[in-house]
Amino acid sequence: MRHPTEGTLRRLLDEPAGVPDPDRAHVADCPQCLAALAATRRDAELVGTALAAEGSTALAAAGSTDVDAGWRRLTAALPAAAPAARPERVRPSRSRLFRRPAAAVLAFGVVLAGAGTAAANDWLQVFRTEEVAPLSLTTSDLVALPDLSAYGDVELTGDPDVHEVPDAATAAEESGLDVPEVADLPRGVAGEPTISVGGQLSATFTYSADRAAQAAAAAGETLPPPPPGLDGSSVRLVAGPGVAQVWSSESGLPALVVGRAVAPSAYSSGVPFETVRDHLLSLPGLPEDVAAQLRGFTADGSTLPIPVPADLATSSTAEVDGAEATVLTGRDGAMAAVVWVSDGVVTAVAGSLDPDELLSVARDLD
Amino acid sequence: MDLVRYGPPAALQLSVPGRTASRVGRKGGTVAGAGNGAVRSDLGEVFRRDYPQVVAVAARVLGSRDEAEDVAQEVFLAFGRSTVPAAEAPGWLSVAAVHTALNLIRSGRRRASREETVAATADVTTPDVAEAVLTREDRSRVRAALGELPRTQAVALVLRHSGLSYAEVAAALDMSPGSVGTTVRRAESALRKELTRHASSD
Repeated sequence: MRHPTEGTLRRLLDEPAGVPDPDRAHVADCPQCLAALAATRRDAELVGTALAAEGSTALAAAGSTDVDAGWRRLTAALPAAAPAARPERVRPSRSRLFRRPAAAVLAFGVVLAGAGTAAANDWLQVFRTEEVAPLSLTTSDLVALPDLSAYGDVELTGDPDVHEVPDAATAAEESGLDVPEVADLPRGVAGEPTISVGGQLSATFTYSADRAAQAAAAAGETLPPPPPGLDGSSVRLVAGPGVAQVWSSESGLPALVVGRAVAPSAYSSGVPFETVRDHLLSLPGLPEDVAAQLRGFTADGSTLPIPVPADLATSSTAEVDGAEATVLTGRDGAMAAVVWVSDGVVTAVAGSLDPDELLSVARDLD
Repeated sequence: MDLVRYGPPAALQLSVPGRTASRVGRKGGTVAGAGNGAVRSDLGEVFRRDYPQVVAVAARVLGSRDEAEDVAQEVFLAFGRSTVPAAEAPGWLSVAAVHTALNLIRSGRRRASREETVAATADVTTPDVAEAVLTREDRSRVRAALGELPRTQAVALVLRHSGLSYAEVAAALDMSPGSVGTTVRRAESALRKELTRHASSD
């Protein structure tokens, strides 16, 4: 069985009852997971101490919270604050008008990237994407999104069922992919990899002009007229299957990960995907970075829809076997990744290695 | 993908770093608009029930009780004009408290002297070994780093360390309970790295 995720180990510290029995049983018998669990506990305690010490002491020193005093202060502020809020009304509500459509597009972008992100999330178990942070969208982006159902329906389908397989031949048979073979392991990486296979995952977004218009009207905005046929048409994003090989280091973090998957691609019913995309791009208030990201999507899966959070990673490009590869380097220097797409197949080489070492592994893959 | 259902949290979450707490409070009120500046009728009831928790959550971020009370005022002002259902108020208020407190950290407009006074007292009066290992500078660094984390990570971390269960954190942030652990873990890992980075360079 595969190792439980970092998140599962973290929860094991706080709420063991919330962790499935098989995971608990696995951790109890797995030296690697026990080591990771110990590291998780150390970090949790350290941060808990750092945050609690001053706060709890500050509270204890001042006695219990004085609710009555707080209430008196609030009620004193209320009549004064109410008229003061009025002059502000115009500007914030204006920004809200613009935010809704923009956020809708952002949400859509995420659904599209969702093939990337959702796949990445399902690849979590494979890639352990928590460690390959540059490959996943930060969750703060997700939380800032509005209710997407105002603009249509979103449905995630497919069960990737990521599981371990005994060898490369089985992986190739189950995934239908050529399993990349690492010619020479970089220094510091040794032993046999753990090989995992995951199935196909898809996400469908069905645009509803009525609901989009209602949402816009509720915000006092008029949507640009959607192209004929867009209403009710769906865009389906498909990613996978995929296979990953993971070499672990003593710390329990992946030292080297070599993954390959059928690249995310977009299928649309009714109108071409580009039409859907361009309509979304025409909505007012769309931030330029989101627009740039959306423009990157193509119908043939030739572009890799991986948003790179600028605070976590820097990206550059390099060439691998004639294809343009994206090189992501974590800002903390702990992890790097090289990702490229060739013939509708995306391959990633990642690990706690120097980007040059990863590029060398990438170029030597058989 | 019903990620944000009410105006105020979205406004708070979307607010750019550096925006002052008062601006967020006002904005929340305007966006959520109960209309005409009207204040919701259950404000007093919710205030009495949740005020201590909101102060405690903000204090965890700020390390200062006075500042935490300021934040709690902003948060309840915004809540007073919102239409958030009372049953969902605790989660909403906690999330808003963390955001407002983090904005305060990022705005650089802190009442620095207060935190240091409290911290100095804490160093002297708490004999706990684990706390003694962390210097006042360490704690300040952790708080600064907290302000730089991706918002969801920071919020999930603070809520978890404030005693909310995984299910409560998940509900407050509209994420799956399964991803709470991952999010908290990432935040802790980042903060620990921040501490060790300085420890090794000292």
